[in-house]
Amino acid sequence: MEVAMKRKYFKTLFIIFTLFLFIVSGYANAAARSPDKIQIGHPACLSGKYAKAGEQAVGGIKACINWVNNVYGGVKIKGGKVPLVYKFYDSESKKESVTSLIARLITVDKVNVIFSPYSSGLTLRGAPITESRRMLYMDHGGANNKIFQQGFRYIVQTIGPASRYHEGTLDMIRMIDPKAKRVALAYEDSEFGKMVMDGAEKHSKKLGFDIVFQRTYPKGVTDLTPLLSALKSSKPDIVLGGGHFEDGQLFNRQMADLDINVNALSLIAAATLPAFYEALTNMAEGVMGPSHWEYGVKYSTEEAKKAGIDWIGPSQEEFVDYFKKAVGKDIVPDYHAAEAGAQVLAYVKAVENANSLNSDKVRKALGKLKFMSFYGNWEIDETGLQIGHSMVDAQWQNSKRVIVWPIEAQTGEAYYPMPTFSDKSKGKVAVPE
Amino acid sequence: MEVEQLTGNLLQGLVLGAVYGMATMGLSLIFGVLRIVNVGHGAFIMVGAFITLWLFNAFGINPLLAIPFAFMFGMGLGLIFYYAAIRKLRNAPELATLLVTFSFGILLEEVVKFIFGSEFRGYNWIVGKVNLGVTVLPMSKMYACFGSALVALLLYLWFNKTRAGVAMRSVVQDSEGARVCGVNVGGVYAFSFALGIGLTVVSGVMLTMFIPVGINPYMGGGYTLKAFVIAVLGGLSSPYGAFFGGLIFGLIENGSYTLFALIPGVEPFAMTRFLSFAMLLIILLIKPTGLLSTK
Repeated sequence: MEVAMKRKYFKTLFIIFTLFLFIVSGYANAAARSPDKIQIGHPACLSGKYAKAGEQAVGGIKACINWVNNVYGGVKIKGGKVPLVYKFYDSESKKESVTSLIARLITVDKVNVIFSPYSSGLTLRGAPITESRRMLYMDHGGANNKIFQQGFRYIVQTIGPASRYHEGTLDMIRMIDPKAKRVALAYEDSEFGKMVMDGAEKHSKKLGFDIVFQRTYPKGVTDLTPLLSALKSSKPDIVLGGGHFEDGQLFNRQMADLDINVNALSLIAAATLPAFYEALTNMAEGVMGPSHWEYGVKYSTEEAKKAGIDWIGPSQEEFVDYFKKAVGKDIVPDYHAAEAGAQVLAYVKAVENANSLNSDKVRKALGKLKFMSFYGNWEIDETGLQIGHSMVDAQWQNSKRVIVWPIEAQTGEAYYPMPTFSDKSKGKVAVPE
Repeated sequence: MEVEQLTGNLLQGLVLGAVYGMATMGLSLIFGVLRIVNVGHGAFIMVGAFITLWLFNAFGINPLLAIPFAFMFGMGLGLIFYYAAIRKLRNAPELATLLVTFSFGILLEEVVKFIFGSEFRGYNWIVGKVNLGVTVLPMSKMYACFGSALVALLLYLWFNKTRAGVAMRSVVQDSEGARVCGVNVGGVYAFSFALGIGLTVVSGVMLTMFIPVGINPYMGGGYTLKAFVIAVLGGLSSPYGAFFGGLIFGLIENGSYTLFALIPGVEPFAMTRFLSFAMLLIILLIKPTGLLSTK
């Protein structure tokens, strides 16, 4: 009787142990097996005030996802090649929609990473949600440095920070004209504008320029004459300023009205857009503007080899083709599309390096990542702030945008000094001889 | 250097002020005759700006020649809105007319956005400059300034020297008395509203001659706010008073910038805005009928 009991006891133990082994090995297999798909979640801005930038960003993301899935063959993880899946909703460019959509993407759609919406304000609004859920949050639309001064651990930037917007312009002028000394700064009184101005001020001083004028103007300003009259009397060689498109247009126009002739004028957010030249025509000749990316930049596998950096992603022409197919229109992508697309490539590379989809591991891999793509260089600091990517500077030359800086991306030389407004009104264009 | 800057800014302020004044005359006229506050005022200015832009970019028509076209278009628009809604709401509570004129503004903004899109646009009309030593004034600004002054003068003469103008003044003073004397009061109301809108649309043309960029469907909001301050300065119901109110406003706005710039640590632009609206508050508290009002 006792023997029978013991047998029964050992038999039960054996079954339990076998079951245990079965479950454990099943879990282990599942962990070692590559996933079926990798989902990117995105509270996109397809309507509302950021609709244009949002449409470009969605097109850029789709273009690079298509390249990864069809040309690259999928993301290499745990011995398999896994396709990317893009899950996005329209946030209508509203803060309250961004937070609820991020929560939905994480909890209902079970995405593996969140891509930020456009603009610093919306990006910042989503950050606490991704932080609380330990979800990797990739920022391609929020340039404000303050996002990265809040102690967030899961946010990583692809767009260049606001503080670096005018660094390239100043570097270029210092190289072209070592005698240029007097810099005037006049930016919009906004978080973004002030951040750009702080960066420009520090970099000017570092390069030995004198700041002879430094003021801000309010959002929605309709007349800059008093500010520009004061700026004129400070006799600057270089004027850096702007904030948004509308005040950039006004800035250039009223400088022309007041005959303020300087060697270089660079305006953020406005000067690189076609509508800027359409409104100002000849008055925009020679005016420069920093941009995160411009069609025509010369980043290539050869440039990457020269710099000793890994290259990933499509060539510029391939990206443009994929973009046009993605948006279903024959339009050239702008920097909003390029930075969003480059972010896909950074994520793919980091997932492969981490060999995991775990946000902590991918974040760690992103911290060590350094590569070049059609968008330029990519590298972040310990806070997640983008430090590898350089802004490019474009200048209007004979009604065309020419990339004049940095040298590795330039499509033409800078026209310096800029023609006077009087010459421009007589038809002079800024074409280097 | 500061004196030179101040003089230059005051001159610029005077020119801009004339345009501001012109942009307020329609608002004051409508309020004076119909006792209606046109909250959608800025949208009519925007219509004038788009008429100029369209005529210049599509047909190369000089902005000065856009004035009669804008005036006729504005008058037509005013008559449509008057007979469609305002006439029925003449004796309705003030809130009803406020909401109706507000909806006119929204309607116009959305129609213009549908036709032209929401981008910020501009045109480049180069007609030379005048160097006054202390500042440089483009001729386009001078045309806008003198054009506005001429319109104010014509309006003054029309009100005081013509039978139609006298009839309009009689309706303002006592509509029942005017009716007894044979004045077509309904017709005067319709014409006043149309004239007010016509003047406002023309002011949009003048404003683009001063600032030919930043033209977009929502550009009117800022001008509506300024027009209310100027209307209070000019005596609320006096169209030519509004013109002088505009001159004062332009001088204060531009002149105060140089003075505020002398205070260390102060961003002058922020203070000029503060000053403009502080001024509105003080005038309303001291003289609610407006600074230049005789009442």
